[in-house]
Amino acid sequence: MAFPQGDSKALKAYGLPTNVLVDYLLLSRPCSVVREVTVQALDQLDKAAGSSSAQTRAVFTGKPGCGKSYVLLQAVQYAIQKDWVTLYIPRGIALVNSSTPYVYDPRTQTYGQPAFAQQLLKRFVDVNERLIKDLKVQGSYPLKETAINSSSPLLDMINIGIESQESAPTVLSALLTELSKQTKFPVLLAIDDFQALYSLSTYRDPYFKMVKAYHLTLPRTLLEFASGKQSFARGAVLGALSSQNTTFRPPLELTEALGLLPDVPSNPYVRREPELIEYAKGLRNFPVPEQLTVDEAASIFDIWHSVKALHVARGDEVFLTKYTEAGGNAREFVRKSLLQTVAM
Amino acid sequence: MNIARHVAKSAFRFRTYATTAYVPPASLATLQRARVPPPKPKPESPTFYTGRATYYDQLLALESAAKHTRSALQELELLPLPRFAQENLPPLYGVWKNKLDLGELMSAKLTTSRYRRFIAQLNQLNEYRRLAEVAGHVELAERIQRVLGMFERDNKDAILARGKRKPVKFDEYGRSYTIGRRKESTARCWVIAAQPAEGESASSATPSEATEEVTTEVTASQTPDVPESSSPPAIAASIEGFESPAPSVKVSTTNILINNIPLSEYFPHVSDRERVVRPFRIAGLLGAYNVFAIVRGGGSTGQSGAVTLAIAKALAAHAPDVEPLLRKAKLLKRDPRMVERKKTGRAKARKAYTWVKR
Repeated sequence: MAFPQGDSKALKAYGLPTNVLVDYLLLSRPCSVVREVTVQALDQLDKAAGSSSAQTRAVFTGKPGCGKSYVLLQAVQYAIQKDWVTLYIPRGIALVNSSTPYVYDPRTQTYGQPAFAQQLLKRFVDVNERLIKDLKVQGSYPLKETAINSSSPLLDMINIGIESQESAPTVLSALLTELSKQTKFPVLLAIDDFQALYSLSTYRDPYFKMVKAYHLTLPRTLLEFASGKQSFARGAVLGALSSQNTTFRPPLELTEALGLLPDVPSNPYVRREPELIEYAKGLRNFPVPEQLTVDEAASIFDIWHSVKALHVARGDEVFLTKYTEAGGNAREFVRKSLLQTVAM
Repeated sequence: MNIARHVAKSAFRFRTYATTAYVPPASLATLQRARVPPPKPKPESPTFYTGRATYYDQLLALESAAKHTRSALQELELLPLPRFAQENLPPLYGVWKNKLDLGELMSAKLTTSRYRRFIAQLNQLNEYRRLAEVAGHVELAERIQRVLGMFERDNKDAILARGKRKPVKFDEYGRSYTIGRRKESTARCWVIAAQPAEGESASSATPSEATEEVTTEVTASQTPDVPESSSPPAIAASIEGFESPAPSVKVSTTNILINNIPLSEYFPHVSDRERVVRPFRIAGLLGAYNVFAIVRGGGSTGQSGAVTLAIAKALAAHAPDVEPLLRKAKLLKRDPRMVERKKTGRAKARKAYTWVKR
């Protein structure tokens, strides 16, 4: 099998989820296995290309290590190739773990994250410039220095946000609104660590209470798209839950909306936040299978061997042993079964 | 009259002395004769006069049985046996009644030397029985067994089965149930043969078949669109770089559940997982069986060791051919090592307190 050549511009632009990054650092070329669930996800995207994003709001769920982030990444790559406008946030926890500065905006009564917004705008332009260079602004938005009016190029508005950090959150919200109106390109909004949008952030308000995620500008906007309150005329919203960080676990409202078993047993008398229930309404659960099939695992085994990363023999017996030890779980198979054969 | 007869007899026998008392002829008429005693019955066997009739009867019966068997075996050319045949006979186990029980059977207390003599005869007959059995003369062997059976202990089977493992039973679904132990842990394990993987043979070009996985470069700008038909072989067929996708392999896999949790989740350490999978590796039965185990007690090493032993026993039951392999690999042995107790005068089992010179 020959790998087609290509540069990984989008990959470098948006960045990767942490667990995916580790694998890609070890492999000489980034690659991932196409699974049955990938094909289903890409089918969904194809169907969603013509309809509003309110109809296609899916969240990848499954056991830890089953490959949710990878499927989301594959969907993002596919969307980029299919000329969708793509906004991908690989580490949703970076939004809520107070790693970037935050500023209260009295106009929207939310906390903006200027540095994060500016960086996200830059990345967005890096990936989607070719597509949006001909788009024009359709609404008018009040910005501090210049007011953007209709039929000026969208790129100009984005550049305002890139140049001045303090207006970046407003520009980002405006950009998303613009993308929701235009019908030329379908838009994909993809968020890894989706549960971070529904949790308490580690930012503090002046009373030293923890700021809720939906009181931050960007997460709030993302939640509105995720819940269907705002929607792209053409496109989809995809999310992927992650269990890596135990500080940000999916809350009860989200697990109930997705039909998952809650981590902690609950009952009808446990308080559920009505805002979160609203923001989680209509989300569709897209389960990712727990086990890799033998063929998929064999492909991964082959890749790691071709990179000469493993110190075990290349054979059926070793492969089946490692597969059985991992129980078919993708992360266990790669990290524990295969990579631990290499003495670090 | 009797006396006269007696005298006559004695005279006839040329005896010069009188054997009976002298009675004058005048008193002969008034002589009172003793009543004729009833004729004593002859004893059934000459051993009556030995005082331990039953014992000697049995002994003589055994000896005659041995004689007859010997001649029968000689006729069948089984005696004398060449040395190599003698060496290769299966081992002989005689579980005879003890001296007290045998004495009860004989209704006479047995002395040790008499008991030993009896047992020696039994052993001799037992050897002939073994010979007949091994040579295939079932009827002869059965006849000898009928004789010997009277003198065997009641719990003979139980005694012979001591030290031997009970055979592993299978239920109506073909599951084996085995128990393994290590340190303080106990594992109960049900092993069932895995269903062979369903699927068509490895013709990979048909699009609508079961999954066949291909790797793609994630961000290749030249990668063409994924077609509407939803299967990886179809994708593979349309992508430029791929000439022919790898043929699909249908292999059944071993699923191991421990306390209803998958192996990789239950044992985070790789060494524990490798230990559990080791019996399959050595037997070469990876993918052949599925395992469900319930394990209690101990820590991760103990629990993984217990599950290993249970799985090894189960594999030996499902596939008896692999038993020598597992035995050689010491997987069928219950590791007897346990935590050593702390002793007085020592900090731990072996660790001593710091030695002070003064």
